[in-house]
Amino acid sequence: MLEIAYWITQALLAIGALCAVYRVFRGPSVLDRVISVDVILIIVGSVMLTDMAFRRHQDFILFVVITAMIGFLGAVAIARYVAAGPHQNAPEDATAPVPIVEPAAPGASAADESTSWFAALTKSGFVPKKEDKQ
Amino acid sequence: MTFILAAAASGGSTLDAVLDGTAAVFLVVGGLMSLAAGIGLVRFPDLHSRMHAATKPQVLGLLMLVLAVCIMWRSWVWVAVALLAWGLMILTAPVSAHVVGRAGYRTKHLRRDLLTDDELATAVDRLSREKGVRRELNSD
Repeated sequence: MLEIAYWITQALLAIGALCAVYRVFRGPSVLDRVISVDVILIIVGSVMLTDMAFRRHQDFILFVVITAMIGFLGAVAIARYVAAGPHQNAPEDATAPVPIVEPAAPGASAADESTSWFAALTKSGFVPKKEDKQ
Repeated sequence: MTFILAAAASGGSTLDAVLDGTAAVFLVVGGLMSLAAGIGLVRFPDLHSRMHAATKPQVLGLLMLVLAVCIMWRSWVWVAVALLAWGLMILTAPVSAHVVGRAGYRTKHLRRDLLTDDELATAVDRLSREKGVRRELNSD
């Protein structure tokens, strides 16, 4: 019974991974691909967990933890760079020499990497459509 | 818990069978979560609904597989390690989902015709009208 469940689970995980690969191939934006790659990483960890449950060994548990951490770091990093796109006045190249300014001048530097994404969104001229409350 | 104790009272082989059956059910449910995530990634129309589908194997599917692993190992020491793996995932999944969703809203990757209510739009609209609230808005 456990062997049947093992193969059923591996087949379901394979189908899920194939669907995620299709979304990576098709995905219209980078963020779709990011979440699809995240799902693929989690499915890889799930395959290792399933194998550990069936064959009763503990060899892959560290890889499961590392897989989860890699997925998290990749998603956060890519989403960070997507959000700091060309419409925002982010610093162009990080290798350029940084101009010396006083640290205590908020709002004065044009190249401050603002933590407020509301600021960038309102600067970009994006006026959201107001929905009436029901 | 009671059925495990009852099975333990009736013999070791029955307990093994019950635990193996429970682990098998948990494995299949965990696999079904990943299948649901894959189907949702293919079928759903925009980024945020795809994110909703993508969180299924992150939390529930991984929990099911971790529980199956803990049952199959029958060792309390490795339960802590396996739950550490799941705990790391459940700590990091909301952060990554928040960042990706924020970037999606900010780069306008959402289908407005599918939304019923955009609660964030009122906040953005209010901030775009009140010029004196944020100092960095008055720089230009």
